[in-house]
Amino acid sequence: MADAAALASILAEPFMQRALVGGLLTGSLGGLLGSFAVLRQLSFFSDALGHSALLGITVGILLGINPTLVLIPFAVVFALLVHQLVQRSALPTDALLNIVYSSSLAAAVLALSLVETYRGGIQQLLFGDILGISWVDLGVIGGLLLVALLYLSLSLRAQVLLTLNADLAGAMGVRSGWHRLAFIVLLAVVVAVSIKAVGVLLISAFVVIPACAGRLLSRRFPVYVVSSALLGGGCALVGLLGSGLTNLPSGPCVVMVQFLGFVVALVISQSTRRSPAVAGPGGRQILGGGPAAPEPH
Amino acid sequence: MRQPVLQVQDLSVERSGRLAVEGVTFALAPESDTALVGPNGAGKSTLVAALLGLVPRRSGAVEILGQPLGIDGQLPRAVRAQIAYVPQTLALQGRFPLTVAEFVGFGFDPPGLRLPWKDQRNRHVAVQQALQRTGCEELGQRLLSELSGGQLKRVLLAFCVVRPRQLLVLDEAQAGLDAPSNEHFQQLLFNLRRQEGWTVLQISHDLDMVRRSCDQVLCLNRRLRCSGSPDHALSPQSLNELYGPHMITYRHQHHG
Repeated sequence: MADAAALASILAEPFMQRALVGGLLTGSLGGLLGSFAVLRQLSFFSDALGHSALLGITVGILLGINPTLVLIPFAVVFALLVHQLVQRSALPTDALLNIVYSSSLAAAVLALSLVETYRGGIQQLLFGDILGISWVDLGVIGGLLLVALLYLSLSLRAQVLLTLNADLAGAMGVRSGWHRLAFIVLLAVVVAVSIKAVGVLLISAFVVIPACAGRLLSRRFPVYVVSSALLGGGCALVGLLGSGLTNLPSGPCVVMVQFLGFVVALVISQSTRRSPAVAGPGGRQILGGGPAAPEPH
Repeated sequence: MRQPVLQVQDLSVERSGRLAVEGVTFALAPESDTALVGPNGAGKSTLVAALLGLVPRRSGAVEILGQPLGIDGQLPRAVRAQIAYVPQTLALQGRFPLTVAEFVGFGFDPPGLRLPWKDQRNRHVAVQQALQRTGCEELGQRLLSELSGGQLKRVLLAFCVVRPRQLLVLDEAQAGLDAPSNEHFQQLLFNLRRQEGWTVLQISHDLDMVRRSCDQVLCLNRRLRCSGSPDHALSPQSLNELYGPHMITYRHQHHG
Protein backbone atom coordinates (compact mmCIF):
# COMPACT_ATOMS: atom_id res chain seq x y z
CA MET A 1 0.00 0.00 0.00
CA ALA A 2 2.88 2.25 0.86
CA ASP A 3 4.34 1.61 -2.58
CA ALA A 4 1.03 2.39 -4.26
CA ALA A 5 0.78 5.64 -2.31
CA ALA A 6 4.38 6.51 -3.22
CA LEU A 7 3.65 5.75 -6.86
CA ALA A 8 0.51 7.89 -6.83
CA SER A 9 2.39 10.76 -5.25
CA ILE A 10 5.17 10.51 -7.87
CA LEU A 11 2.66 10.37 -10.71
CA ALA A 12 0.97 13.51 -9.40
CA GLU A 13 4.14 15.55 -9.91
CA PRO A 14 4.08 17.52 -13.20
CA PHE A 15 7.84 17.03 -13.76
CA MET A 16 7.34 13.27 -13.44
CA GLN A 17 4.42 13.33 -15.87
CA ARG A 18 6.58 15.18 -18.40
CA ALA A 19 9.45 12.75 -17.76
CA LEU A 20 7.20 9.74 -18.36
CA VAL A 21 5.84 11.16 -21.63
CA GLY A 22 9.41 12.11 -22.58
CA GLY A 23 10.68 8.64 -21.76
CA LEU A 24 7.89 7.01 -23.75
CA LEU A 25 8.56 9.21 -26.79
CA THR A 26 12.37 9.06 -26.60
CA GLY A 27 12.37 5.30 -26.01
CA SER A 28 9.97 4.70 -28.91
CA LEU A 29 12.01 6.93 -31.19
CA GLY A 30 15.23 5.14 -30.23
CA GLY A 31 13.66 1.72 -30.81
CA LEU A 32 12.14 2.80 -34.14
CA LEU A 33 15.37 4.22 -35.57
CA GLY A 34 17.40 1.50 -33.88
CA SER A 35 15.49 -1.27 -35.66
CA PHE A 36 16.93 -0.04 -38.96
CA ALA A 37 20.29 1.13 -37.57
CA VAL A 38 21.07 -2.26 -36.05
CA LEU A 39 20.32 -4.16 -39.27
CA ARG A 40 22.40 -1.67 -41.21
CA GLN A 41 25.26 -2.14 -38.72
CA LEU A 42 25.10 1.50 -37.62
CA SER A 43 25.02 0.74 -33.88
CA PHE A 44 28.52 2.04 -33.37
CA PHE A 45 27.67 5.07 -35.49
CA SER A 46 24.98 6.12 -32.99
CA ASP A 47 27.50 5.63 -30.19
CA ALA A 48 29.98 7.90 -31.98
CA LEU A 49 27.24 10.47 -32.53
CA GLY A 50 26.34 10.38 -28.84
CA HIS A 51 29.92 10.92 -27.71
CA SER A 52 30.49 13.69 -30.24
CA ALA A 53 27.37 15.45 -28.90
CA LEU A 54 29.38 16.33 -25.81
CA LEU A 55 31.69 18.34 -28.06
CA GLY A 56 28.66 20.10 -29.57
CA ILE A 57 27.33 20.96 -26.13
CA THR A 58 30.74 22.25 -25.07
CA VAL A 59 31.01 24.42 -28.18
CA GLY A 60 27.62 25.91 -27.29
CA ILE A 61 28.74 26.62 -23.71
CA LEU A 62 31.99 28.23 -24.86
CA LEU A 63 30.15 30.41 -27.39
CA GLY A 64 27.56 31.37 -24.82
CA ILE A 65 24.70 29.90 -26.89
CA ASN A 66 22.04 27.54 -25.53
CA PRO A 67 23.71 24.10 -26.03
CA THR A 68 20.43 22.56 -27.20
CA LEU A 69 20.33 24.99 -30.14
CA VAL A 70 23.87 24.11 -31.14
CA LEU A 71 23.44 20.38 -30.72
CA ILE A 72 21.14 19.56 -33.66
CA PRO A 73 23.14 21.36 -36.40
CA PHE A 74 26.36 20.12 -34.82
CA ALA A 75 25.17 16.50 -34.81
CA VAL A 76 23.95 16.70 -38.42
CA VAL A 77 27.19 18.24 -39.70
CA PHE A 78 29.23 15.77 -37.65
CA ALA A 79 27.20 12.81 -38.98
CA LEU A 80 27.62 13.95 -42.58
CA LEU A 81 31.37 14.41 -42.14
CA VAL A 82 31.75 10.99 -40.55
CA HIS A 83 29.60 9.47 -43.31
CA GLN A 84 31.89 10.99 -45.95
CA LEU A 85 34.95 9.80 -44.06
CA VAL A 86 33.62 6.23 -43.85
CA GLN A 87 32.65 6.27 -47.56
CA ARG A 88 36.03 7.51 -48.73
CA SER A 89 38.42 5.78 -46.36
CA ALA A 90 39.92 2.38 -46.94
CA LEU A 91 40.01 1.72 -43.17
CA PRO A 92 37.40 -0.48 -41.43
CA THR A 93 34.33 1.47 -40.29
CA ASP A 94 34.53 0.39 -36.62
CA ALA A 95 38.15 1.55 -36.35
CA LEU A 96 37.32 4.89 -37.97
CA LEU A 97 34.33 5.48 -35.70
CA ASN A 98 36.45 4.61 -32.68
CA ILE A 99 39.01 7.23 -33.70
CA VAL A 100 36.27 9.81 -34.27
CA TYR A 101 34.37 9.27 -31.06
CA SER A 102 37.34 8.96 -28.70
CA SER A 103 39.02 12.06 -30.11
CA SER A 104 35.80 14.12 -30.06
CA LEU A 105 35.21 13.00 -26.47
CA ALA A 106 38.76 14.00 -25.52
CA ALA A 107 38.35 17.38 -27.26
CA ALA A 108 35.07 17.94 -25.41
CA VAL A 109 36.59 17.14 -22.00
CA LEU A 110 39.55 19.47 -22.71
CA ALA A 111 37.17 22.24 -23.83
CA LEU A 112 34.96 21.68 -20.78
CA SER A 113 37.99 22.17 -18.53
CA LEU A 114 38.16 25.71 -19.92
CA VAL A 115 34.65 26.40 -18.63
CA GLU A 116 34.90 27.44 -15.00
CA THR A 117 31.33 26.69 -14.03
CA TYR A 118 28.64 24.95 -16.01
CA ARG A 119 25.37 25.10 -14.18
CA GLY A 120 24.03 22.09 -16.06
CA GLY A 121 26.66 19.87 -14.50
CA ILE A 122 28.77 17.18 -16.20
CA GLN A 123 26.65 14.44 -14.62
CA GLN A 124 23.57 15.61 -16.53
CA LEU A 125 25.51 15.73 -19.78
CA LEU A 126 26.81 12.23 -19.37
CA PHE A 127 23.70 10.49 -18.03
CA GLY A 128 20.89 12.85 -19.01
CA ASP A 129 18.26 14.65 -16.99
CA ILE A 130 14.90 13.39 -18.11
CA LEU A 131 13.25 14.91 -15.03
CA GLY A 132 14.22 18.35 -16.32
CA ILE A 133 12.45 17.84 -19.67
CA SER A 134 10.10 20.67 -20.68
CA TRP A 135 6.84 20.72 -22.66
CA VAL A 136 8.73 22.33 -25.55
CA ASP A 137 11.20 19.42 -25.51
CA LEU A 138 8.26 17.01 -25.57
CA GLY A 139 6.77 18.82 -28.56
CA VAL A 140 10.06 18.57 -30.46
CA ILE A 141 10.51 14.86 -29.63
CA GLY A 142 6.87 14.11 -30.51
CA GLY A 143 7.17 15.94 -33.83
CA LEU A 144 10.37 14.08 -34.60
CA LEU A 145 8.68 10.76 -33.85
CA LEU A 146 5.91 11.60 -36.34
CA VAL A 147 8.45 12.62 -39.02
CA ALA A 148 10.45 9.42 -38.46
CA LEU A 149 7.30 7.27 -38.61
CA LEU A 150 6.14 8.92 -41.82
CA TYR A 151 9.52 8.75 -43.55
CA LEU A 152 10.25 5.15 -42.56
CA SER A 153 6.73 3.99 -43.52
CA LEU A 154 6.91 5.63 -46.93
CA SER A 155 10.43 4.38 -47.62
CA LEU A 156 10.14 0.92 -46.02
CA ARG A 157 10.88 -0.91 -49.30
CA ALA A 158 13.87 1.34 -49.97
CA GLN A 159 15.23 0.92 -46.44
CA VAL A 160 14.97 -2.88 -46.47
CA LEU A 161 16.43 -3.32 -49.97
CA LEU A 162 19.23 -0.90 -49.13
CA THR A 163 20.04 -2.93 -46.03
CA LEU A 164 20.03 -6.22 -47.96
CA ASN A 165 22.06 -5.16 -50.99
CA ALA A 166 22.76 -1.63 -52.20
CA ASP A 167 23.10 -2.74 -55.84
CA LEU A 168 19.78 -4.57 -55.72
CA ALA A 169 18.18 -1.46 -54.23
CA GLY A 170 19.70 0.78 -56.92
CA ALA A 171 18.61 -1.56 -59.72
CA MET A 172 15.07 -1.49 -58.31
CA GLY A 173 14.99 2.31 -58.54
CA VAL A 174 15.89 3.15 -54.94
CA ARG A 175 17.86 6.37 -54.69
CA SER A 176 20.40 4.72 -52.42
CA GLY A 177 22.63 7.74 -51.77
CA TRP A 178 19.68 9.97 -50.90
CA HIS A 179 18.05 7.46 -48.54
CA ARG A 180 21.35 6.60 -46.86
CA LEU A 181 21.96 10.29 -46.20
CA ALA A 182 18.38 10.95 -45.07
CA PHE A 183 18.56 8.11 -42.56
CA ILE A 184 21.87 9.26 -41.14
CA VAL A 185 20.59 12.84 -40.77
CA LEU A 186 17.45 11.53 -39.06
CA LEU A 187 19.53 9.38 -36.71
CA ALA A 188 21.77 12.35 -35.92
CA VAL A 189 18.77 14.58 -35.10
CA VAL A 190 17.20 11.87 -32.94
CA VAL A 191 20.45 11.39 -31.03
CA ALA A 192 20.85 15.16 -30.58
CA VAL A 193 17.28 15.65 -29.36
CA SER A 194 17.44 12.65 -27.02
CA ILE A 195 20.75 13.64 -25.41
CA LYS A 196 19.06 15.95 -22.90
CA ALA A 197 16.88 13.13 -21.62
CA VAL A 198 19.25 10.21 -21.97
CA GLY A 199 22.77 11.59 -21.77
CA VAL A 200 25.86 11.20 -23.89
CA LEU A 201 26.96 7.84 -22.51
CA LEU A 202 23.63 6.04 -22.59
CA ILE A 203 22.10 7.25 -25.87
CA SER A 204 23.38 4.30 -27.90
CA ALA A 205 21.63 1.91 -25.48
CA PHE A 206 18.30 3.53 -26.43
CA VAL A 207 19.04 2.86 -30.09
CA VAL A 208 20.61 -0.60 -29.85
CA ILE A 209 19.10 -2.61 -26.96
CA PRO A 210 15.34 -2.48 -27.78
CA ALA A 211 16.09 -3.18 -31.46
CA CYS A 212 18.22 -6.22 -30.58
CA ALA A 213 15.50 -7.54 -28.27
CA GLY A 214 12.89 -6.96 -30.99
CA ARG A 215 15.11 -8.73 -33.51
CA LEU A 216 15.31 -11.81 -31.31
CA LEU A 217 11.54 -11.96 -30.86
CA SER A 218 10.15 -11.09 -34.31
CA ARG A 219 9.89 -12.79 -37.65
CA ARG A 220 7.89 -10.28 -39.68
CA PHE A 221 9.52 -6.96 -40.49
CA PRO A 222 6.69 -4.61 -39.42
CA VAL A 223 6.35 -6.60 -36.17
CA TYR A 224 10.08 -6.19 -35.59
CA VAL A 225 9.97 -2.42 -36.10
CA VAL A 226 6.85 -1.91 -33.96
CA SER A 227 8.04 -4.26 -31.19
CA SER A 228 11.42 -2.46 -31.05
CA ALA A 229 9.65 0.89 -30.67
CA LEU A 230 7.22 -0.50 -28.06
CA LEU A 231 10.05 -2.15 -26.11
CA GLY A 232 11.98 1.12 -26.20
CA GLY A 233 9.01 3.13 -24.94
CA GLY A 234 7.85 0.51 -22.43
CA CYS A 235 11.29 -0.01 -20.88
CA ALA A 236 11.67 3.75 -20.54
CA LEU A 237 8.34 3.99 -18.68
CA VAL A 238 9.18 1.11 -16.31
CA GLY A 239 12.70 2.40 -15.74
CA LEU A 240 11.50 5.91 -14.94
CA LEU A 241 8.88 4.66 -12.49
CA GLY A 242 11.53 2.47 -10.86
CA SER A 243 13.84 5.44 -10.68
CA GLY A 244 11.12 7.57 -9.08
CA LEU A 245 10.31 4.92 -6.48
CA THR A 246 13.91 4.10 -5.57
CA ASN A 247 15.37 7.59 -5.99
CA LEU A 248 18.09 6.18 -8.27
CA PRO A 249 19.36 8.01 -11.41
CA SER A 250 16.74 7.83 -14.18
CA GLY A 251 18.89 7.21 -17.29
CA PRO A 252 20.79 4.22 -15.87
CA CYS A 253 17.53 2.79 -14.45
CA VAL A 254 15.97 2.87 -17.94
CA VAL A 255 19.02 1.23 -19.51
CA MET A 256 19.02 -1.51 -16.86
CA VAL A 257 15.35 -2.22 -17.59
CA GLN A 258 16.18 -2.34 -21.31
CA PHE A 259 18.98 -4.77 -20.53
CA LEU A 260 16.62 -6.99 -18.50
CA GLY A 261 14.17 -6.87 -21.41
CA PHE A 262 16.95 -7.97 -23.74
CA VAL A 263 17.89 -10.88 -21.43
CA VAL A 264 14.25 -12.00 -21.33
CA ALA A 265 14.07 -11.81 -25.15
CA LEU A 266 17.29 -13.82 -25.38
CA VAL A 267 15.96 -16.52 -23.04
CA ILE A 268 12.64 -16.70 -24.92
CA SER A 269 14.35 -16.94 -28.31
CA GLN A 270 16.80 -19.59 -27.08
CA SER A 271 14.12 -21.70 -25.42
CA THR A 272 11.82 -21.66 -28.46
CA ARG A 273 14.78 -22.51 -30.69
CA ARG A 274 15.74 -25.51 -28.56
CA SER A 275 12.28 -26.96 -28.02
CA PRO A 276 12.07 -29.93 -30.46
CA ALA A 277 8.30 -30.14 -30.11
CA VAL A 278 7.70 -26.70 -31.56
CA ALA A 279 10.80 -25.70 -33.46
CA GLY A 280 11.77 -26.31 -37.07
CA PRO A 281 15.49 -26.31 -37.92
CA GLY A 282 15.60 -22.56 -38.14
CA GLY A 283 13.74 -22.02 -34.87
CA ARG A 284 10.12 -21.18 -34.34
CA GLN A 285 8.61 -17.80 -34.84
CA ILE A 286 7.69 -15.87 -31.74
CA LEU A 287 5.89 -12.74 -32.87
CA GLY A 288 3.84 -12.63 -36.05
CA GLY A 289 3.20 -15.20 -38.83
CA GLY A 290 2.80 -18.97 -38.82
CA PRO A 291 5.22 -21.73 -37.81
CA ALA A 292 8.46 -22.26 -39.66
CA ALA A 293 8.34 -24.86 -42.40
CA PRO A 294 10.95 -27.63 -42.36
CA GLU A 295 13.91 -27.42 -44.71
CA PRO A 296 13.11 -29.50 -47.82
CA HIS A 297 16.71 -30.63 -48.45
CA MET B 1 13.41 -6.03 -86.66
CA ARG B 2 12.46 -5.51 -83.02
CA GLN B 3 14.16 -2.77 -81.03
CA PRO B 4 16.98 -4.05 -78.76
CA VAL B 5 16.10 -4.18 -75.07
CA LEU B 6 19.55 -2.87 -74.18
CA GLN B 7 21.87 -0.93 -76.46
CA VAL B 8 25.38 0.05 -75.39
CA GLN B 9 27.54 2.36 -77.47
CA ASP B 10 31.25 2.97 -76.84
CA LEU B 11 30.85 2.74 -73.06
CA SER B 12 33.79 3.56 -70.79
CA VAL B 13 33.63 3.42 -66.99
CA GLU B 14 36.15 4.43 -64.34
CA ARG B 15 36.39 2.69 -60.99
CA SER B 16 38.79 3.59 -58.18
CA GLY B 17 40.58 6.03 -60.47
CA ARG B 18 41.32 3.58 -63.29
CA LEU B 19 39.55 2.76 -66.52
CA ALA B 20 37.78 -0.51 -65.72
CA VAL B 21 35.68 -0.72 -68.89
CA GLU B 22 36.74 0.82 -72.20
CA GLY B 23 34.88 1.40 -75.44
CA VAL B 24 32.31 -1.39 -75.08
CA THR B 25 29.56 -1.66 -77.70
CA PHE B 26 26.87 -4.34 -77.90
CA ALA B 27 23.10 -4.85 -78.00
CA LEU B 28 20.71 -7.36 -76.46
CA ALA B 29 17.92 -8.59 -78.71
CA PRO B 30 14.52 -9.14 -77.09
CA GLU B 31 14.22 -12.47 -75.25
CA SER B 32 17.87 -13.33 -75.82
CA ASP B 33 20.16 -14.87 -73.17
CA THR B 34 23.61 -13.27 -73.12
CA ALA B 35 26.56 -14.28 -70.96
CA LEU B 36 29.24 -11.85 -69.91
CA VAL B 37 32.48 -13.79 -69.32
CA GLY B 38 36.05 -12.86 -68.51
CA PRO B 39 38.75 -13.29 -65.86
CA ASN B 40 38.52 -11.81 -62.36
CA GLY B 41 39.07 -8.06 -62.40
CA ALA B 42 38.06 -7.83 -66.07
CA GLY B 43 35.39 -5.20 -65.34
CA LYS B 44 32.30 -7.42 -65.63
CA SER B 45 30.63 -6.23 -62.40
CA THR B 46 31.59 -2.63 -63.18
CA LEU B 47 30.01 -2.91 -66.62
CA VAL B 48 26.81 -4.34 -65.16
CA ALA B 49 26.76 -1.65 -62.45
CA ALA B 50 27.10 1.04 -65.13
CA LEU B 51 24.30 -0.52 -67.22
CA LEU B 52 22.01 -0.48 -64.20
CA GLY B 53 22.94 3.13 -63.47
CA LEU B 54 24.66 2.26 -60.17
CA VAL B 55 27.97 3.88 -61.10
CA PRO B 56 28.44 6.86 -63.42
CA ARG B 57 30.03 6.26 -66.82
CA ARG B 58 32.91 8.26 -68.18
CA SER B 59 31.67 8.28 -71.77
CA GLY B 60 29.40 6.46 -74.17
CA ALA B 61 25.66 5.89 -74.28
CA VAL B 62 23.27 3.32 -72.85
CA GLU B 63 19.66 2.87 -73.90
CA ILE B 64 17.22 0.59 -72.10
CA LEU B 65 13.95 -0.13 -73.90
CA GLY B 66 14.64 2.85 -76.12
CA GLN B 67 15.15 5.27 -73.23
CA PRO B 68 18.57 6.81 -72.61
CA LEU B 69 20.16 6.08 -69.23
CA GLY B 70 21.08 9.37 -67.56
CA ILE B 71 24.72 10.01 -66.70
CA ASP B 72 23.90 9.54 -63.00
CA GLY B 73 21.74 6.50 -63.61
CA GLN B 74 18.36 8.18 -64.06
CA LEU B 75 15.70 6.26 -65.97
CA PRO B 76 11.96 6.87 -66.33
CA ARG B 77 10.13 5.00 -63.58
CA ALA B 78 8.20 2.85 -66.07
CA VAL B 79 11.48 1.65 -67.63
CA ARG B 80 13.12 1.10 -64.23
CA ALA B 81 10.16 -1.09 -63.27
CA GLN B 82 11.01 -3.36 -66.24
CA ILE B 83 14.44 -4.25 -64.82
CA ALA B 84 15.15 -7.11 -62.43
CA TYR B 85 18.49 -7.90 -60.85
CA VAL B 86 19.85 -10.97 -59.07
CA PRO B 87 22.91 -10.12 -56.92
CA GLN B 88 25.50 -12.65 -55.82
CA THR B 89 24.32 -12.50 -52.24
CA LEU B 90 22.34 -10.54 -49.65
CA ALA B 91 23.65 -9.03 -46.39
CA LEU B 92 21.94 -11.40 -43.96
CA GLN B 93 24.33 -11.47 -41.02
CA GLY B 94 22.67 -13.02 -38.00
CA ARG B 95 18.93 -13.21 -37.63
CA PHE B 96 17.22 -10.96 -40.19
CA PRO B 97 13.54 -10.49 -39.27
CA LEU B 98 12.15 -10.58 -42.79
CA THR B 99 10.12 -13.46 -44.23
CA VAL B 100 10.51 -14.73 -47.76
CA ALA B 101 6.97 -13.57 -48.61
CA GLU B 102 7.71 -10.05 -47.33
CA PHE B 103 10.90 -9.88 -49.37
CA VAL B 104 9.23 -11.08 -52.57
CA GLY B 105 6.49 -8.50 -51.92
CA PHE B 106 9.07 -5.73 -52.14
CA GLY B 107 9.76 -6.95 -55.69
CA PHE B 108 6.10 -6.36 -56.52
CA ASP B 109 6.06 -2.73 -55.38
CA PRO B 110 6.98 -0.15 -58.03
CA PRO B 111 9.90 2.26 -57.48
CA GLY B 112 9.22 5.32 -55.33
CA LEU B 113 7.77 6.21 -51.93
CA ARG B 114 4.50 4.55 -50.92
CA LEU B 115 2.76 3.33 -47.81
CA PRO B 116 3.58 -0.35 -47.16
CA TRP B 117 -0.07 -1.45 -46.86
CA LYS B 118 -1.07 -0.03 -50.26
CA ASP B 119 -2.24 -2.59 -52.84
CA GLN B 120 -1.85 -5.36 -50.26
CA ARG B 121 -4.38 -7.78 -51.79
CA ASN B 122 -2.81 -7.72 -55.27
CA ARG B 123 0.64 -7.99 -53.74
CA HIS B 124 -0.37 -11.04 -51.70
CA VAL B 125 -1.79 -12.82 -54.78
CA ALA B 126 1.28 -11.96 -56.89
CA VAL B 127 3.65 -13.15 -54.15
CA GLN B 128 1.87 -16.50 -53.78
CA GLN B 129 2.00 -17.05 -57.54
CA ALA B 130 5.68 -16.10 -57.72
CA LEU B 131 6.52 -18.48 -54.87
CA GLN B 132 4.61 -21.26 -56.58
CA ARG B 133 6.27 -20.72 -59.94
CA THR B 134 9.73 -20.90 -58.40
CA GLY B 135 9.00 -23.91 -56.19
CA CYS B 136 9.20 -21.79 -53.04
CA GLU B 137 5.60 -22.09 -51.84
CA GLU B 138 6.71 -23.79 -48.60
CA LEU B 139 9.26 -21.09 -47.88
CA GLY B 140 6.87 -18.12 -47.67
CA GLN B 141 6.91 -17.81 -43.87
CA ARG B 142 10.57 -18.75 -43.42
CA LEU B 143 13.09 -16.06 -42.55
CA LEU B 144 15.29 -15.02 -45.44
CA SER B 145 18.31 -15.57 -43.18
CA GLU B 146 17.31 -19.22 -42.56
CA LEU B 147 17.52 -20.28 -46.21
CA SER B 148 20.18 -22.41 -47.85
CA GLY B 149 22.13 -20.96 -50.79
CA GLY B 150 20.01 -22.77 -53.37
CA GLN B 151 16.74 -21.71 -51.71
CA LEU B 152 17.89 -18.08 -51.56
CA LYS B 153 18.66 -18.07 -55.29
CA ARG B 154 15.19 -19.41 -56.07
CA VAL B 155 13.66 -16.77 -53.81
CA LEU B 156 15.62 -14.12 -55.71
CA LEU B 157 14.05 -15.41 -58.92
CA ALA B 158 10.63 -15.22 -57.23
CA PHE B 159 11.46 -11.57 -56.42
CA CYS B 160 12.06 -11.01 -60.15
CA VAL B 161 9.02 -12.89 -61.43
CA VAL B 162 6.54 -11.34 -58.98
CA ARG B 163 5.69 -8.69 -61.58
CA PRO B 164 6.16 -8.66 -65.36
CA ARG B 165 9.58 -7.37 -66.43
CA GLN B 166 11.62 -7.37 -69.60
CA LEU B 167 15.28 -7.25 -68.62
CA LEU B 168 16.90 -9.59 -66.08
CA VAL B 169 20.51 -9.04 -65.02
CA LEU B 170 22.31 -11.68 -62.95
CA ASP B 171 25.66 -11.13 -61.24
CA GLU B 172 27.30 -14.57 -60.92
CA ALA B 173 24.08 -16.18 -59.81
CA GLN B 174 25.83 -19.57 -59.59
CA ALA B 175 28.27 -18.34 -56.93
CA GLY B 176 28.10 -20.50 -53.81
CA LEU B 177 25.87 -23.18 -55.35
CA ASP B 178 26.76 -26.86 -55.47
CA ALA B 179 26.34 -28.72 -58.77
CA PRO B 180 22.75 -30.02 -58.23
CA SER B 181 21.54 -26.64 -56.91
CA ASN B 182 23.18 -24.90 -59.86
CA GLU B 183 21.53 -27.29 -62.29
CA HIS B 184 18.16 -26.73 -60.61
CA PHE B 185 18.61 -22.96 -60.68
CA GLN B 186 19.61 -22.92 -64.36
CA GLN B 187 16.63 -25.06 -65.32
CA LEU B 188 14.30 -22.75 -63.40
CA LEU B 189 15.87 -19.67 -64.99
CA PHE B 190 15.56 -21.23 -68.44
CA ASN B 191 11.84 -22.04 -67.92
CA LEU B 192 11.02 -18.63 -66.47
CA ARG B 193 12.85 -16.84 -69.27
CA ARG B 194 10.76 -18.70 -71.83
CA GLN B 195 7.50 -18.05 -69.96
CA GLU B 196 8.19 -14.40 -69.14
CA GLY B 197 9.96 -13.42 -72.36
CA TRP B 198 12.86 -12.05 -70.33
CA THR B 199 15.96 -10.70 -72.00
CA VAL B 200 18.80 -12.00 -69.85
CA LEU B 201 22.30 -10.66 -69.26
CA GLN B 202 24.30 -12.82 -66.85
CA ILE B 203 27.82 -12.64 -65.57
CA SER B 204 29.13 -16.19 -65.41
CA HIS B 205 32.28 -18.20 -64.89
CA ASP B 206 30.50 -21.44 -65.77
CA LEU B 207 31.51 -21.77 -69.41
CA ASP B 208 29.83 -25.16 -69.72
CA MET B 209 26.49 -23.64 -68.73
CA VAL B 210 27.10 -20.69 -71.07
CA ARG B 211 27.65 -23.07 -73.99
CA ARG B 212 24.45 -24.95 -73.22
CA SER B 213 22.09 -22.09 -72.37
CA CYS B 214 23.14 -18.78 -73.90
CA ASP B 215 22.52 -17.34 -77.36
CA GLN B 216 25.27 -14.77 -77.19
CA VAL B 217 28.57 -14.40 -75.33
CA LEU B 218 30.45 -11.18 -74.55
CA CYS B 219 34.11 -11.75 -73.63
CA LEU B 220 35.31 -8.83 -71.54
CA ASN B 221 38.75 -7.97 -70.31
CA ARG B 222 38.43 -4.18 -69.89
CA ARG B 223 37.58 -4.07 -73.59
CA LEU B 224 35.25 -6.41 -75.42
CA ARG B 225 37.70 -9.04 -76.71
CA CYS B 226 35.18 -11.07 -78.67
CA SER B 227 31.45 -11.61 -78.95
CA GLY B 228 29.00 -13.79 -80.81
CA SER B 229 27.56 -17.27 -80.52
CA PRO B 230 28.99 -19.53 -77.79
CA ASP B 231 30.71 -21.75 -80.39
CA HIS B 232 32.47 -18.76 -81.87
CA ALA B 233 33.20 -16.74 -78.72
CA LEU B 234 34.28 -19.69 -76.60
CA SER B 235 36.60 -21.30 -79.13
CA PRO B 236 39.97 -22.37 -77.67
CA GLN B 237 41.65 -19.51 -79.50
CA SER B 238 39.25 -16.88 -78.11
CA LEU B 239 39.57 -18.28 -74.58
CA ASN B 240 43.36 -18.21 -74.83
CA GLU B 241 43.18 -14.56 -75.81
CA LEU B 242 40.75 -13.79 -73.00
CA TYR B 243 42.18 -15.79 -70.11
CA GLY B 244 45.76 -16.33 -71.26
CA PRO B 245 47.62 -19.34 -72.63
CA HIS B 246 47.18 -21.45 -69.45
CA MET B 247 43.42 -21.74 -69.94
CA ILE B 248 42.39 -25.37 -70.40
CA THR B 249 38.77 -25.99 -71.33
CA TYR B 250 36.76 -29.07 -70.48
CA ARG B 251 33.48 -29.75 -72.18
CA HIS B 252 30.85 -31.54 -70.18
CA GLN B 253 29.29 -34.34 -72.25
CA HIS B 254 25.63 -35.16 -71.78
CA HIS B 255 24.51 -38.71 -72.49
CA GLY B 256 20.98 -40.02 -72.84
